[in-house]
Amino acid sequence: MRRGRRHARAGWSAWVLWGLRRLAGGVGVLWAVATIVFVAIRLIPGDPALAILGGPGSQASAEAVAQVRQEYGLDRPVLVQYVVFLGRLATGHLGDSYAFRTPVATLLGQQLPVTLTLAVLGLVVAWVLAIVAAWWSTQRGRFAAGLTSALSVTASVTPHFWLGSVLIVVFASALGWVPAVSDGTARGWVLPVVTVAVPVAGYLAETVRDGVVDAQRSAFALAARSRGETRAGLFGRHLLRHAALPGIALSAWAFGSLVSGAVVVESVFALPGIGRALVTAVTQRDMPLVAGIALVSAAAYVVVLAVADLVERLVDPRAEATRPGVRTRRRAPRVTGPEAGAR
Amino acid sequence: MILDSVQKTATAVAGAAALLLVLAGCTGGGAATSNSTPIDGGTLVYASGDAEPTCLDPHVGGNYPQALLSSQYIEELTALDDGKPVPALAKSWTTSDDGKTLTFTLRDDVTFTDGTPFDAAAVVANIEHVQDPATASSTGYLALQSITKATATDDHTVTLTLSRPDSALLESFSQPWVGMESPKALQRSQEVNCESPVGTGPFAVTAWKHGDRVTLTKNADHWGTTAPRLDGITWRFLPDSTSRYAALQSGQVDVIDNAQPDQLKAASSKGSIRDLDAPRPGASNRLELNSGHGVFRDEAVRKAFIAGAEIDPGIRSLFLGTAKRSYSVLSSVEPYGYSDKSLFGYSPTKAKRLLDDAGWKVGSDGIREKDGQQLTVTFPVSTNQSVPAERSLFQQIQASEKAVGIKVVLKELDLSSWYAALAANQYDVVSAPYTKVGADVLRILYDSASITPAPSGYFANLAQLDDPKLDDLLQRAAQTSDTSERGDLYEQAQKTILASGTVLPLYDQQNHFLYRSAVHGIQTTAVSTPCFGTAWIDR
Repeated sequence: MRRGRRHARAGWSAWVLWGLRRLAGGVGVLWAVATIVFVAIRLIPGDPALAILGGPGSQASAEAVAQVRQEYGLDRPVLVQYVVFLGRLATGHLGDSYAFRTPVATLLGQQLPVTLTLAVLGLVVAWVLAIVAAWWSTQRGRFAAGLTSALSVTASVTPHFWLGSVLIVVFASALGWVPAVSDGTARGWVLPVVTVAVPVAGYLAETVRDGVVDAQRSAFALAARSRGETRAGLFGRHLLRHAALPGIALSAWAFGSLVSGAVVVESVFALPGIGRALVTAVTQRDMPLVAGIALVSAAAYVVVLAVADLVERLVDPRAEATRPGVRTRRRAPRVTGPEAGAR
Repeated sequence: MILDSVQKTATAVAGAAALLLVLAGCTGGGAATSNSTPIDGGTLVYASGDAEPTCLDPHVGGNYPQALLSSQYIEELTALDDGKPVPALAKSWTTSDDGKTLTFTLRDDVTFTDGTPFDAAAVVANIEHVQDPATASSTGYLALQSITKATATDDHTVTLTLSRPDSALLESFSQPWVGMESPKALQRSQEVNCESPVGTGPFAVTAWKHGDRVTLTKNADHWGTTAPRLDGITWRFLPDSTSRYAALQSGQVDVIDNAQPDQLKAASSKGSIRDLDAPRPGASNRLELNSGHGVFRDEAVRKAFIAGAEIDPGIRSLFLGTAKRSYSVLSSVEPYGYSDKSLFGYSPTKAKRLLDDAGWKVGSDGIREKDGQQLTVTFPVSTNQSVPAERSLFQQIQASEKAVGIKVVLKELDLSSWYAALAANQYDVVSAPYTKVGADVLRILYDSASITPAPSGYFANLAQLDDPKLDDLLQRAAQTSDTSERGDLYEQAQKTILASGTVLPLYDQQNHFLYRSAVHGIQTTAVSTPCFGTAWIDR
């Protein structure tokens, strides 16, 4: 803590240091991701040249294979390929996709907004569901609590492909309320967003509920009630704020889960995002596209974690005492809340 | 008639069937008939479960997903009627007596959708494009291998000089992988041409949003007697089979491919969802037993495997009556196909006897052994090329082989790994679909020359059949233009292949499409892809 106080006196320089550390960590993560992707693709047996030319019912001629090997540099030693690959990434060149014969950056430019929209809408819907569930479970007696808890746990382990198919069969095929697959309209987003939101909402609801229950037992809640605060007011103004902190940390994790969930959900609902492109890229051994998607996802995750860290520090007044740059607790304590001062 | 002593006229007559095709506006084969009055307008939505092509120009690479799409915007020199070549963009043709010169007379009323006229120079440019290694054509390249030179003799006459007589060439020219594209468009870079190839077909490519859809717009100036009725086609890629079918059921899409057996079963001729069964030409779906490697070098062991494979109940239960058992190396749509059911009866008794006689004794775990070696066969399965029902069938075959003492090791692999396993000769059994128009596919699959791997490692003769007598039959069949002699030679060749015990036919290459009853007038092409040139929607 002594070191922490010194940083506190240093003021904005502590923030710069924090930023630099985050940046260095981020670059390290990206380098590791790039290396793992490169090695993983090389370890799988199979000739990428044939995958580029191949496909059911077609056999590549010798000339064609040789041409492709040379064109994509597949005839050079693996180490040279690795160095060239890293060098190009470092200079911001993601290369051309084998499968789509288009610059990876162009493809990501088209596909990333779709996946980000899915993830962000999914997160928003998950939070709404989680808050409703937390309210219901903490304010409506024991039966409601048990039921919500059971539902949350079930929701959190529901696989996307199953949920997606069930939602399609019920709401598109049988009831005809929404389109089965995305069609570019707002209605087309309903099922995919709900599909990614439900498992995350399960986790969030459990966490938020725990936080609310803890806060309810604390003195500040009793004090607020005695001041004449309504149930809803207490929940909305005091308990939720207290319970939201672990939820924010969890949201960063959830964002990662939403992006990985996109792999399945985008295929099921035919959304043209990076998750779907990743499936194609992996089957076709499309190294530049796989690497591009992995790096962009990792970068997004790094940014989201940093933002969550920042938000957590800004929301939590106790962060005043412990400036960034100092390794502190990752989790908000459960019993004493941000409103401990009300005591 | 004096001139005819130099050049004999081949199939140059436009018969009634050929006339129908011209009217149709698809250089195709069969037509789904309908008696309602056609309606103009509307956009058809097609949902494909096949892999999204990497290039929309079917000259590049050359696979079935490309053929499906390009059947809407690219047309060919010939078409097929009941398996026989008939005129399409070529009005007529003649073959020289020695079979080494083929002369096409072209239609003179055709224009590419970019305004370039279709003429002899265009045909020459297309043949050169397919043969140029920089194009990286595989399917088209193999189909045109016998052509050494293409010359534009006049504006609408093309003369092809061949290295050998090639009776399959006219059939080959009906495939989209050697279809005609605008020479002006071909001069652009490959990246650009892959995005927006230009043909003469009833539709033109207007946009391709990668990972999502291709937009096709009608070619109002199409040369067919009826202009296309649809305003356009939205071609979507929907990899998930459940959501693809749900989208069809809810009317969000009009046509889907790669329909699963249970979905086909639910379709009926009177309901709102109809089945279009279009078996692919070329080879049937069959298991090839590798006679050049391991335990299957012994013919008796191969024949024991065939006798020990229980197939029919599996096909019935897994495909729910939507697939019919085949006893032929060729597809049922091939006119030269030959079947022999008697070779493929299920008989565990026969299998056990053959193995006993060959010296394979039952070991402690029920698997047979000989000289300390277990009777194990490796079966790599490409998950990209086998539907779930087929993979389950392979598991049932595995179970029935175990009962006679053969251990089958199934290895499910993705496409690249599967190619690698074949190239490394790490297989005893394999199922490798092959689509090519005409019985000449036999030469690609079973000629001993196809055992020699290309530098890529790939070879097409996966049974590794090495029989000079068979090679001779196949070569003579490819060189004769006499239809009855050709049919006779192909029959002898197929008898030889079936008797070798290297092939276990399963069924035709399944190619089912489901469409909503509101869609009328769908036709199929020479390679069994649907063409919507005369289709209309009655919403």
